[in-house]
Amino acid sequence: MLNNRVRELRARYGFTQSDLGKQVEVTRQTIAFIEKGEFSPSITLALKLAKALQTNVDELFWLEGDEKDEK
Amino acid sequence: MKNDFRLQYPLWMMGFIVVLGLLAYGLSSPVTKVINTETEQSVTISLGPVGGMFALGAIVIYIIMLTIFLFKLKKHNKKNPAQRISPFSIRPPEYLEQDEGMTYITRKAAQKVYTFITWSLPALAGIAIALSLPRIYIIFGILLIALGQYWIYYSEVRKHLKEEIE
Repeated sequence: MLNNRVRELRARYGFTQSDLGKQVEVTRQTIAFIEKGEFSPSITLALKLAKALQTNVDELFWLEGDEKDEK
Repeated sequence: MKNDFRLQYPLWMMGFIVVLGLLAYGLSSPVTKVINTETEQSVTISLGPVGGMFALGAIVIYIIMLTIFLFKLKKHNKKNPAQRISPFSIRPPEYLEQDEGMTYITRKAAQKVYTFITWSLPALAGIAIALSLPRIYIIFGILLIALGQYWIYYSEVRKHLKEEIE
């Protein structure tokens, strides 16, 4: 299971799911699936999301149980 | 997304399958009259009143449904030129593959359908062999499986898209 901070960072920058989806060229539904942890994005999409949310991939996504950085 | 015609497509197919079932029922028991004498040779196939009503009704419903379906298809293609649906495409148009998230949902739904098909078709074949069923029951069985596969696909995709939140 892959955890993420997409919802948190999206809210910080005031993006809607649609806004973020447009930036990374996916549908709003895909952003929703990622936020819920229902779907793990490809490396390409993870990199695009990290860029859009001005962070690093490892700050945005981490494996469940791997909470060493207290993200 | 909710109004995406590709989402409704399995429901339309289910509707057409039901109409096909009605037509199959209507045509299943025609009365055949064969005259073969020295002066006259003829074959007359006539439907009974109930069968005829079902067959005729099915054809009328089919024409009405097809008209609405083609109208909606045209509307969808006009609104979504990037995701056009061709009624003659071999690839099922209900596949949602515009990005990796939608492809994932489509794959999950297709896997469930495949699981259903792998046991239901052999089961139907087994039942048909063991019970020596009349042809119409086998046709109904095939149509039921077709209905089932569309329902499984639709409900799986719907489940994911229903849960999404902004």
